[in-house]
Amino acid sequence: MHEQINVGRDTASAITPAIAAPQTTVAAPWDTQPYSIKRHGISITNCDAEPVRTPGCIQAHGALLVLRQSDLSVLQASENAMAILGHEPGELLGQNVAVVVKAEGEVRLRSILSTDPTDRNPIYVYTLPATSKVAAMDVTVHTLDGVVMLEFEATGRSQPAQGTAPAAPGPRHEPDYYAIIKKTVARLQSMATVQAFCQALTDEVRLLSGLDRVMVYKFHADHHGEVFAESRRSDLAPWLGLHYPAEDIPKPARDIFARTWIRPVPDINGALAEMMPLVNPDTGRPVDMTFCALRGVSVMYTEYLQNMGVSAGLTMPLRRDNQLWGLIACHHYTGPHFVPYELRAACEFLAQVASLQQHAVEERENAAYRQKLEDVNQQLLSMAAQEGGLASMTDGVPNMLGAINAGGAALYHRDRWWRVGQTPDDLQLEALGQWLGERLEAGSLVSPLYATHSLAAAYPPGAAFANVASGLLAAPLSRSGQNLMMWFRPEVKTTVNWGGNPRDKPTVTGPHGERLTPRRSFELFAESVDKQAFPWMQVEIDAATRLRSLIMELVIVRAERLAGLNADLARSNEELDAFAYVASHDLKEPLRGIHKYAHQLMEAAPASDEEKRKLEGLMRLTVRMDSLLDSLLHFSRVGREELTLEEVDLNEVLAEAIEMVSSRIGDAHTQIVAPRTLPLVSCDRIRVREVLVNLLSNALKYNNAADKRVEVGYVAAAESALRHGFPEETGGQTVYWVRDNGIGIAPRHFDQIFKMFKRLHGREDYGGGTGAGLTIVRKLVERHHGQVWLESVVDGGSAFFFTLGAAGGQ
Amino acid sequence: MPASLAAPILVVEDSDDDFDTMMEAARGVGMTRTIHRATSGGNCLALLRGGNGQGETHLTVLPVLILMDLNSHGIDGREALVAIKTDVGLKEIPLVVLTTSANPKDVAFCYRAGANAYHVKPVRHDHYVLLLRSLLDYWLERATLHTATVKVG
Repeated sequence: MHEQINVGRDTASAITPAIAAPQTTVAAPWDTQPYSIKRHGISITNCDAEPVRTPGCIQAHGALLVLRQSDLSVLQASENAMAILGHEPGELLGQNVAVVVKAEGEVRLRSILSTDPTDRNPIYVYTLPATSKVAAMDVTVHTLDGVVMLEFEATGRSQPAQGTAPAAPGPRHEPDYYAIIKKTVARLQSMATVQAFCQALTDEVRLLSGLDRVMVYKFHADHHGEVFAESRRSDLAPWLGLHYPAEDIPKPARDIFARTWIRPVPDINGALAEMMPLVNPDTGRPVDMTFCALRGVSVMYTEYLQNMGVSAGLTMPLRRDNQLWGLIACHHYTGPHFVPYELRAACEFLAQVASLQQHAVEERENAAYRQKLEDVNQQLLSMAAQEGGLASMTDGVPNMLGAINAGGAALYHRDRWWRVGQTPDDLQLEALGQWLGERLEAGSLVSPLYATHSLAAAYPPGAAFANVASGLLAAPLSRSGQNLMMWFRPEVKTTVNWGGNPRDKPTVTGPHGERLTPRRSFELFAESVDKQAFPWMQVEIDAATRLRSLIMELVIVRAERLAGLNADLARSNEELDAFAYVASHDLKEPLRGIHKYAHQLMEAAPASDEEKRKLEGLMRLTVRMDSLLDSLLHFSRVGREELTLEEVDLNEVLAEAIEMVSSRIGDAHTQIVAPRTLPLVSCDRIRVREVLVNLLSNALKYNNAADKRVEVGYVAAAESALRHGFPEETGGQTVYWVRDNGIGIAPRHFDQIFKMFKRLHGREDYGGGTGAGLTIVRKLVERHHGQVWLESVVDGGSAFFFTLGAAGGQ
Repeated sequence: MPASLAAPILVVEDSDDDFDTMMEAARGVGMTRTIHRATSGGNCLALLRGGNGQGETHLTVLPVLILMDLNSHGIDGREALVAIKTDVGLKEIPLVVLTTSANPKDVAFCYRAGANAYHVKPVRHDHYVLLLRSLLDYWLERATLHTATVKVG
């Protein structure tokens, strides 16, 4: 499957990794004499050492004459001149070119040389008519370094022996290449994606050239290659999606394609013809065949192609911004396939047009991708803004994988990881996040974003999850890097479509051993992308950057709004506080006056018992109003004052509470007991004491038993057998209780008793009180994120239960 | 008679009812000192410092004790408290705050400003009378007063 490789390699050959190390060992055999593939090719073992531009030989299906530019006399001739041109090469040396091309050929040649851009640019001269000895030949010319290179190739069509017209129509109908190219270009232009574009290109080139298989071989950023598009004879196995290591098309081969637009090898098994003499007698140097269509093919390259069963090949570069982007690689399996000059020119032109268009298509595709990324970014942001958190970016629709090409994504937000798709687990994310945070703090990240396609190389623990996250794109959402969003891209090996495992293909062993086989190539590739993902595209990095700044803007706006709300809240709390005091103060002022006058009237000896009773009532009511105002004030503060959480021994708190209600424990017939030692609890000591005081005093107050008994205890979270009937939300929390043998409460009153100033009994029954106690109890418990409830039977006693939230005991 | 026995006390109270109660309590403990009354914080400062340009009279003998209600019209008790306790000539006079406000902020403010005691006026008249009697008894009979505060203004 390395034909694309071979394509590039015809100049360079070996499949083994290009050895970049300097060659200091043995001098090459051609160091002391001119190089010729025929003489030295078999000894080549290193592709970087082969003089690919001066092979000393041409492919023997055509002939090459090297002329002195000043007088057009023959300096060098290929040794097969007799077979192709009907002249022994030795006879031609020193002769004017007219010996071969006749007078009219020479005139035309001179004309072209004087007017056309022939430097490094082969141009068709005319067709040398057939004779009794040789077939008609297309003649092309280009100049280089003061010599004229004249190439002769069979026309591919039969022609009358006497015909001299350059483009005389033969019996075979000549295709209208202009019309074909025009139609093809229009079709290519309409493609929306680079893939579709390349697919169409392979279809068109195959149609045009008649070769069995045409591929677009795309170079990735690391120069490894991929069969990106393919058009093939239907009976051939598909190679689409196959990947090859960068070494398969070494740098010298890639460089050649930066200079030439086409590389034909019409017969892989064809002979080579050496140049006579091997060096230019004027300069003493071998002739540079870079721009020769006939340039000789290296032994290793042909051997490789032969191993593949390839019999003919044609290769054209796809360039972008003068960089080699890929190759159009064509293979033929059914014998030699000669592509005549005109058709080759059409293919070449197509490659040039495709190179220009491909850029535009890629830009268009990138723009569409960028737009999609931006759309999803905006949707992610508006969801996050609506839902008040970033979690929607992983569990919403769309999520962080909505546009970006990644296998998984994770987000650290509100002290936990949010994940979607294939990601490392929480512990691995934790460690990775910490590592990124350290890099961020150390300032070693130039950009706020971190992008890699080989995480394990920078972060060795990443090897453990290389399959899901060899590629990492990370964006911190806070300065400390503690809040992060990350995208993961799986390892290439797990994502590449091999189009049939190359391991299943038979190994063909050539004279150079197994290294020239597809299997070896595959192994090399697998090695080269070990623990690596496909790199992040610039548009993807841009999109992540953009999402990051959108989120940070949102967070800042949020924080500002929150700060504003907090300030408002603090202000209104303060105002409420002041209001409560002023109100109670201002209400008490007249109350004191009323009480005073009632008091004075009482002292002035009331006229009757009736009058006395009314005055007493008046005084009692003012005192009651006074305590109601105090309760109200207290309740308004309970809801707003900060809790002071500390580790508290509930046994001590209970002892204090008992002391505070001791005035009610008048006699020996009252006892308050804790059946078992109470636990340590994280809570606000003063407020929990108030809860107990209120519950204890209620338990004693609403109690007519001869022997009043109150028990205080708890049920631990694990004591599930004792938790029957407890609210579900209290699961996992310790439940505390205060149980009495008092008068009990009817279930229909369970809700009412917690309401402010709600009393079930007469004002003066059961020792009076404002009716705020249980309201305050509930408020205090809720401030601890707990809840309070009761069980009770009329005349059967009551039990009040409460929790103190997650902090208050598990 | 020692000079201290002749020294007056100053009551800052805008409520006539409460001032009556004060007098009642004073009689109850058999107090013989002169009781001066100011009806506002501004009035109080004028009495202590002398004329404010509006022809108000001022005390010729400084009081040995100031009983002050916080809330009054004009310059209120808080301002007067601060003014007295930052005045080198006045700050040594014991100042006891009497108010209906139980606001912890007021309590904190007064002590920080240098008040010598803070009392919340109870709603029950009999309780208030009891409070005043014990207060007068404490400051005038049991506590040792700083005689140096007594000087002719």
